[in-house]
Amino acid sequence: MGYGDYQCMDANGIREDGRKADEMRAVEIECGVIPVADGSAYIKWGKNEAIAAVYGPMEAHPRKIQRQDRAILDVRYNMAPFSTTDRIRPGFNRRSREISKVTKDALESVVDLELYPRSKIRVEIEIICAEAGTRCCGITAASVALADAGIPMSDMVVSVAAGKCNGVVLMDLNKPEDNYGEADLPMGILPMTDELVFLQMDGDLSMEEFKLCWDYNVKAAHDVHAIMVDALQRRYGGDV
Amino acid sequence: MATPIIPSLLRENLAALAADDARLDGRSQFDGRDLEIEVDCLANAEGSCRVRMGDTIVLAGVKFQIMTPYPDRPTQGGLMTSAEVRPVCGPNWEPGPPSPESIELGRVVDRGIRESGCINTEELCILPGEKAWQVILDLFAISDDGNLFDAFALAAIAALRTATVPAERFDVGEDYKLEVKGAPIMCSYHKVGGRFVYDATHREELGGDERIHITLGNEGHVHSLQKGLRGIFTAAEFDEIMDAAQSRCAELRAIVAEQEASL
Amino acid sequence: MSEDSTPSEQDSGAGRLVHPGERLGGHEGAEAGHGVRRIDGQMVAMRMGNLQENGQMVSIDPLSSRYVPRAGDLVIGLVEGMTNNIWFLDIGASFNAILPMSLAPWKVEFGAVREHLNVGEAVLCRVQEVDETQSAVATMKGMGLRKLKSGLVEQIPPHIIPQVIGKGGSMLQALKDLGDARLVVGQNGRVWIDGEQDGMRDIRSALKLIRDTAHLPGLRERIDALGE
Repeated sequence: MGYGDYQCMDANGIREDGRKADEMRAVEIECGVIPVADGSAYIKWGKNEAIAAVYGPMEAHPRKIQRQDRAILDVRYNMAPFSTTDRIRPGFNRRSREISKVTKDALESVVDLELYPRSKIRVEIEIICAEAGTRCCGITAASVALADAGIPMSDMVVSVAAGKCNGVVLMDLNKPEDNYGEADLPMGILPMTDELVFLQMDGDLSMEEFKLCWDYNVKAAHDVHAIMVDALQRRYGGDV
Repeated sequence: MATPIIPSLLRENLAALAADDARLDGRSQFDGRDLEIEVDCLANAEGSCRVRMGDTIVLAGVKFQIMTPYPDRPTQGGLMTSAEVRPVCGPNWEPGPPSPESIELGRVVDRGIRESGCINTEELCILPGEKAWQVILDLFAISDDGNLFDAFALAAIAALRTATVPAERFDVGEDYKLEVKGAPIMCSYHKVGGRFVYDATHREELGGDERIHITLGNEGHVHSLQKGLRGIFTAAEFDEIMDAAQSRCAELRAIVAEQEASL
Repeated sequence: MSEDSTPSEQDSGAGRLVHPGERLGGHEGAEAGHGVRRIDGQMVAMRMGNLQENGQMVSIDPLSSRYVPRAGDLVIGLVEGMTNNIWFLDIGASFNAILPMSLAPWKVEFGAVREHLNVGEAVLCRVQEVDETQSAVATMKGMGLRKLKSGLVEQIPPHIIPQVIGKGGSMLQALKDLGDARLVVGQNGRVWIDGEQDGMRDIRSALKLIRDTAHLPGLRERIDALGE
């Protein structure tokens, strides 16, 4: 199958997974799933499954990476070998390195780093099962894990990717739409203010299409944020 | 792996507890922790299993690739085991190249499976001299509260026994169940406070000494052994844990069979 | 948003559960306390926790946290390393504390640090001071401060220390009675227990129960039930 052969929607405007253009995949979140971590979260987003663990704050070693005035986030995003149809060989991976960096930049924008000078906070993101939008799942799970660990933040980052396939702007791309589509726009949004801490884009979008993608992402972020808050409240609000 | 500080009070307490035939969490010497096991839990793997022992949680994934057989073994496929203990699973696991600890983990689990002969790589042939299946077992630690060895080994065999060869995806025939003869099971014993105990927690490992891993097959045959870390043990101590392993391995084997039957 | 008010052992009027980023209103004239910041005129929750509002201050009782050292805190430290005249103590904070020889209770000959306090040993000490980079200096000069030579050190999350101590120390006494053991709670969430193994195990179970169910009412009853 090549580009242009994939039909993302049928005649009634229904996508392959039964959604309309402006609907999100199903999202479930649980916190405290890694008992030995200071904070952790599991997210199931469509067929994606990701876990995030937070350790720290702790002394930053080696000394040369320490910052006198604030903490640093030490973020690792990784895909497990069995997470994709074709096995991923463990080891250095440029894509994972890049995603680790942009995730760190996103999260450092909201964490109150000045509270813990000279220390580091480890954020470990592992993709257990991949569909599409794994970097978004990772950032979102990491936000919940940081909250679960009691790390102070001015807001929780919610990340989601809209895009375009067969000329139709779509909310929350799934795998074939991501593979065969014409554009994708992942964003990291602060739901309290609709400000951004993460932004990437690949493909071809007119200004109108771009704005619609943006709006879709903001709307989806609010929906996911409610699920994040619910997961945290269930953990701390009285469920034994 | 960062070497954690071993609290001296911990070692003293473990010795006092052992003298009293007790353990930190109230278990008896050869009791295992609460066990949860679930197969077929990873959508993109051809075989999978999640195991939880106490607060230790691991995943095993089985994936298949097509390989070219070696010229001197034209009908033989392959089995490869890779264990990843990434920083996600504990405060002391550091990023970087695989540590000696995680390499040992992978190799010990691999030997237990390989030496049992439960997978006959000659049966993985697709086209002699040209194509054969390579079975790749990926072990992945999610939470390390001790005894990753047994958790990995159990998840591994359960994943293998419930794996499907994806012939259709590779256009070489119809999917079929991977043939696995028997179920080798590993039991690990850690010397804590001067005596061997089963299914040690992270804290017991921290304050403990040497460990012994025993893999037994269906008839109670011994398929692999490994002694790790510093320490000295006697033949009598070994006999005692081999006894314990015989019954525990049989119990775990039955649990794996239940999981298979549930699919 | 949850309106649940979960009465705790220390009934300080635990308020509703808030999450990081939650906007809490203007609260003109009030001060932003622990876990709260004023951003663009609004009070913002920075952590997961129970909101505390009185007229003058808005703050959050965190539900999960790393210990932040404050001068005067009684803490239990674990020796991680040493130089010729300083010990480095892990006190469970984001940074190790230092214990200089001058603040140790022994007269230490140069090079003899290890004989008095070695790696892996536990000490009851006090935080003398904390500088602006959160480096803490610990002291062992003070009443009751000493190397812990017996017993076991357990870790509990710092935010449940009030429940472990109880009103007027009532829960602490209940735990001591339960296990017939000595018990010292450090501000860094480290708890020293010293007694017979059976009693120590009972206290450990009780601590786990407190940790898991501190946010639910009836904590004292559950602990008392353990003793029966």
